[in-house]
Amino acid sequence: MTTVVLTNPYSELVKRYFANPVHAGQLPDEYNNAVAGEAADSATGARVILYAVMDRDIIRMLRHQVFGCPHLIAAAEAFCDKAEGQPASALLELDLPGLMDELAIPVEKTGKVFILEDAAKALHIMLTGTTQSED
Amino acid sequence: MLNKNVAPVYLDYAATTPVDPQVAEAMSGYLTVGGIFANPSSMHAAGRQSAAAVETAREQLAGLLNVSPHELIWTSGATESVNLGILGAARYRSDRGKHLITMPTEHKAVTDTFQALEREGFDVTYLMPDRNGLLALDEFEAAIRHETQLVSVMHVNNETGVIQDIRRIGECCRERDILLHVDAAQSVGKLPTDLSVLPVDLLSLTAHKLYGPKGIGALYMADRPACHVLPLFHGGGQERRLRPGTLAVHQIVGLGAAAALAKSRQVEDLIHLQGLEARLWSGIGNIPGILRNGSETESFPGILSVSIEGIEGESLMLALEPLCVGSGSACNSRNRESSAVLRALGHDDALVQSAIRFSFGRGTTNDEIDLAIDCYADAIKHLRAISPQHARTA
Repeated sequence: MTTVVLTNPYSELVKRYFANPVHAGQLPDEYNNAVAGEAADSATGARVILYAVMDRDIIRMLRHQVFGCPHLIAAAEAFCDKAEGQPASALLELDLPGLMDELAIPVEKTGKVFILEDAAKALHIMLTGTTQSED
Repeated sequence: MLNKNVAPVYLDYAATTPVDPQVAEAMSGYLTVGGIFANPSSMHAAGRQSAAAVETAREQLAGLLNVSPHELIWTSGATESVNLGILGAARYRSDRGKHLITMPTEHKAVTDTFQALEREGFDVTYLMPDRNGLLALDEFEAAIRHETQLVSVMHVNNETGVIQDIRRIGECCRERDILLHVDAAQSVGKLPTDLSVLPVDLLSLTAHKLYGPKGIGALYMADRPACHVLPLFHGGGQERRLRPGTLAVHQIVGLGAAAALAKSRQVEDLIHLQGLEARLWSGIGNIPGILRNGSETESFPGILSVSIEGIEGESLMLALEPLCVGSGSACNSRNRESSAVLRALGHDDALVQSAIRFSFGRGTTNDEIDLAIDCYADAIKHLRAISPQHARTA
């Protein structure tokens, strides 16, 4: 059994997103046209599902469900916050280094954030049938 | 949303305890000019005062364990005691045989020491516990060989609180002239440990788990034939040449005072811990998917370890703030190794990662336990609401 490290491994922004992830959860039942994209890492068990409701090409609502560490939950929350209201191509434009920098995610957690990127790509495929941006 | 506007609540007494104010007061007289600070090896009057304080502390600790004071050797803590007891005894008796027995659920101070002995050519048998964390005595007896010289089994497990049957294990050893070393860091001063009747040859302890200072411990070495250790250090005649080095008088006084206090409060403390553990388990034990780690009956009430299905360990630790608890999560540990103790109980990685160790002490209140119950329940609810594993079914 181990005791928590003395230095705080989480930025204030990560803690805020983690404590209050307003985009967490599935979409309400009335959005039966929602589309989902999923990615997981079988080695760690980490898993991300993104759900989107589109209004023509615009992401009207974006929700996430995450099984993973606080950094992954915060990254998913930050991504949903940014991508909502954007065109579907935003799903392929996740600025991974920028997001990690903004949230102060340590470099050893890069693999976890790749799961989010893969889920976003999977969602884009489900929405458009392509892995390429149409812009 | 999680509420974080609460002061930290310390529930990690198995990691360390605060120094009792009475202990700190006793120590304060042994540091500065005007106090008793001389080297206890010095022959002058001040030195003799220090030496007397050291021997008083030895008598206090001996009183707690019901042993003779000369059977105690001061060390820097349990890790050093374990090293001196295991390395020292195994090397001392190596001409008789080089087979040793321990368990993978021991503290790393023990398992790493046995691994060091394996590199010296010793043969070590690691006996797995049952699913409750207990050593099966029939398997233990079957593992004993003619050349077995030393067995090491901890009294109270530091992660699960499981209590091993030291008496029965010790009886098996005595019948075969095998030494038994016991890591009692978690139990001394908390559970009755009468070494005048327990068949234990070597016992390691530390002060900082029983409201004494960090940096001081002791090794009990029974005064009986063939029970001896070779020293690890050389350079002075202190502690019968078995542990040379200038004695830290203020630390030793602190351990003595802590031992005397523990002896006077043992029953009261144990009743207090039993109440706290029962309160916590009754508050969280009905959460779906929760699992108690280790035996529920053969368990020290100062430690309650739980795992829970479908919860990621690192996120659970953050969600539990402001609770200060122990974790089985690799991501939060310094060494990034998941718990060998919980894996030995047959848990999969997910259950190991979700493990939380609550440990209580004299200062823990019912209000703190109630807060812990609320924090734990809220954290599980929060994480299950986020998780795809519990979508709409939580």
